[in-house]
Amino acid sequence: MAGPSPDHRPSRKPSGRPSFPGSGLAKGLAVTLRTMTRRSVTAHYPDVQPELPPRSRGVIGLFEENCTVCMLCARECPDWCIYIDSHKETMPAATPGGRERSRNVLDRFAIDFALCMYCGICIDVCPFDALFWSPEFEYAETDIRDLTHERDKLREWMWTVPEPPPLDPAAEEPKELGAARKAADKLAAQQAEPEQQQAAAPDGQDRSGPEGRSQPEGPSGPGGASGQDGASGPDKREQGGDS
Amino acid sequence: MNLAAAGAHPGFLSPTGVEIVFVLVGLATLGAALVTVTTKQLVHAALWLVAALGGVAVEYLLLTAEFIAWVQVLIYVGSVVVLLLFGLMLTKAPIGPSPDADSGNRWIALGVAVVSAATLVTLVVDAFRTTWIDLSTSPKGSTRVTGEALFRGWVLPFEALSVLLLAALVGAIVLSRRGAPETDEAEPETKQEGQR
Amino acid sequence: MDVVDVLWRLLAVLLAFLLLPLIVGQAEHKAMAHMQGRVGPMYAGGFHGWAQLVADGVKFAQKEDIVPGGADRRVFQLAPAIALLPYLIVLIAIPVGDGDQVGQVVDAGVFFVLAVMGVGVLGSLMGGWASANKFSLLGGLRTAAQLLAYELPMLLAAASVAMAAGTLSLPGILDAWQWWWLPWQIIGGLVFFTAGLAELQRPPFDAPVADSEIIFGAYTEYTGLRFALFLLAEYAGIVVLSALTAVLFLGGWHGPAAGELGWVWTLLKTAALAFVVIWLRVSYPRLREDQIQRVAWTVLVPLALLQIALTGVVKVVIQ
Repeated sequence: MAGPSPDHRPSRKPSGRPSFPGSGLAKGLAVTLRTMTRRSVTAHYPDVQPELPPRSRGVIGLFEENCTVCMLCARECPDWCIYIDSHKETMPAATPGGRERSRNVLDRFAIDFALCMYCGICIDVCPFDALFWSPEFEYAETDIRDLTHERDKLREWMWTVPEPPPLDPAAEEPKELGAARKAADKLAAQQAEPEQQQAAAPDGQDRSGPEGRSQPEGPSGPGGASGQDGASGPDKREQGGDS
Repeated sequence: MNLAAAGAHPGFLSPTGVEIVFVLVGLATLGAALVTVTTKQLVHAALWLVAALGGVAVEYLLLTAEFIAWVQVLIYVGSVVVLLLFGLMLTKAPIGPSPDADSGNRWIALGVAVVSAATLVTLVVDAFRTTWIDLSTSPKGSTRVTGEALFRGWVLPFEALSVLLLAALVGAIVLSRRGAPETDEAEPETKQEGQR
Repeated sequence: MDVVDVLWRLLAVLLAFLLLPLIVGQAEHKAMAHMQGRVGPMYAGGFHGWAQLVADGVKFAQKEDIVPGGADRRVFQLAPAIALLPYLIVLIAIPVGDGDQVGQVVDAGVFFVLAVMGVGVLGSLMGGWASANKFSLLGGLRTAAQLLAYELPMLLAAASVAMAAGTLSLPGILDAWQWWWLPWQIIGGLVFFTAGLAELQRPPFDAPVADSEIIFGAYTEYTGLRFALFLLAEYAGIVVLSALTAVLFLGGWHGPAAGELGWVWTLLKTAALAFVVIWLRVSYPRLREDQIQRVAWTVLVPLALLQIALTGVVKVVIQ
C-alpha cells in the first residue's frame, strides 16, 4: 500500500516538506474518524420539521383583498398555471353627481401547483402585493387534480406567510419608510397649516408635487409591506391620480 | 485403493464405520475423476476436479493425515483449480459443451491412465501387503510427525525439490519477460530452464 | 466428547455464524453513515434501525429467484452455497477462550483455516463464469487474479506465527503467545490483515466488484436469497478474518482476567478489527487492478518474507 506506483508518486505529492511514508493514509483515516465523532448533518424531516428561512419558496398564498384582477401574474407565468376569472361591477358614484366607477371583481383565482415551477415571477410582478411566498411545503396529494389550489385554499396559505426578516444592519433604508415619512411630514404640514394660514407658505404646494410622483413606488417595493399598507396603496394612487 | 480395509489382522469382513466411509468416499472420488475427464464442458471438468481433489483430501483425513489433507485443499483446490479456472475464463470457455476441446487422443490417454494406475496400485499393494496400521494409536500423519520426517529423514530431497521449483520460477519469470529489450540470444537458454 | 457436547458446540458455532455477520453488517451501516456525516438506517426495529438487516433479509426472501437464460443453471445456483459454507466451517476451529472453548481443536489449524477460506473464493469464480455475463466474467477473472496474488503473503504471514509458536494448532499458538509477540509479529499481522482484506474483496481491494466499472462483478446476475447469501458470505468473511487476526497476532483471549473473561477479549479484539475493516472502506478509494497486483507482489510478499526472516532470527537467538 505504501508505494504502489513510483511513476505516479511525484506528480501526486505536493511540493514541500517530504512526508513520512503512509502519512497520507493515516490522514485519510483521521478524517473519517473525526467526522464520526461529530454530529451528523442529516435532517430528520418527518420526525423533526425543518427550520426553513422566511423566504423559502414553499407555496404561493393569495391575499385576495389586494387583487385587482390586473392579470399580470397570469400573463407573466412561464407555464401558464394561474387561472383567473372575473367580472366587472359598476359602483355608484361616491359623491352625488359624480361619475360611476367600474371595478373588477374576482370570481376565480387558482394556481396549478402540478405545473408551477416555483419561479416566483407572479409574486415579483404583482403590483398590489396580492401574492406571497409561504414556506409551507407539505401539500402533496394522491390525485394530481387536487394540486390545483383554488381561491379559498390560496387564501388559507396567507396565514402561513411569515413576517419578513429584518434587514441587514448596514442595509439601505427601505423605500416604504421614505415614502411613509414624507406622507407623515405632509400630514404634519397640513395640520400646521391652519395655524399659519396667514403666512401661506408656497412650500406646501410644492411638496404635493414630488409626493404624487413618489407614490407609485410604495406598493411595488419589496414585499415587506403588510397587508394593510398594501391595501391603502391602490386607494391612494387612485386618489392621487384624480386630484 | 481401500488399503486400510484390506488389512488382514482384525479381518475386513466386519469393517468399522471409518472403513465404510473410506470406501464410499473413494468411490465418489473415482466417479468425480471419471466425470472430470469425460465431460464435454470445460469448466464443469474443472469443478469436478475440485470434487475429486476434495475427495482425496477427505481420504487423507480419514487416514488421520491431517496436515497433508489441508495442504491438499490449500494448494490444489485453493490455488491450482483457481489458476485453472482463471485460464479457462481468459480463453472464454463457453457455457455448454465445447466439441473442439477434444484432442482425439482418447484411447492413448486411457492407455496412459490405466498403465499409471496399474503401476501405482501395484507399488502400493506390494509395499504394504497385509501390514496393519492401527490409526488410533499411532498418529503418523500429524503435523509434528510429518515435519520431523520431512526435515530430518528427507531433508535432502526436500531441498533438491525447492531448487527445482526455484529454477522453474525463475524460468517462468524470464519467459514472461520476452517482450523486454532482451535480444533473441537469451531465448533458447530460458526455454531450457523452463522445461526443467 | 459425547454427542450432546458436540451438538452444543455446533449450535454455538451456528449461532455465532448467523449473528456475528449481521452485527458487523449493522455496524457497517451505522459507522459508515456517521463517518460520512449521515445517520444511516433509523426506522427498522424502532431504536436507531437496529433491525435493518432483518428487514433486508425479509426483502431478499420475497424477491424472485432469477436464473439468466444463457446461464449454466446448476453451477449458477450452487455458487452462493460454495461461497458461504467455508466460513461456517472455519468458525469451528477458531478458539474464543482458554482451554476447550473452541468448536473443535484442529491439529493443523492454521492450514485448515486458510485452506477452507481459499475454497470460498471458488463460489465467486463459479458465479462469475456461470452467469453468462461479460461483467460477471471480468469480476470472476479479477477475483481469481486477486486470490492468486494474495494467498501467498497471507500464508507466509501466518507461517511466521506458526514458526514462532512451534505449532500449527490455533489453541496451541495462543498457549504459546506472549505479550512481546505483538511488536515482534506486527509486520506479519499487517500483511495478514491486508491480504485478508484483499481476499474478501473489501475496499480498497474491491476491484472485482467495482460498481463503476463492472456493475457488481461476479454477483451482477444474482437476485433474492442467493444474492443475500453472497452478501452474508462477505460479512462472515469479515468476522472470520478479524477473529483469525485477533487469534494469530493480537493474542486472542490473552488480557487482564483472561481466566474468566477470555472469550470477551477475543470478541473485543475481533470487533475492533471488524471496525477497522469498515473504517478502511470509508476512508480509502478503490485501488486499480494493476495497483492491486503490484501491492501484493512488490510490497506484501517482501514484507512477509522479511517477517519470516525476523521470526527465524529471533527464534534462534532466544533458544
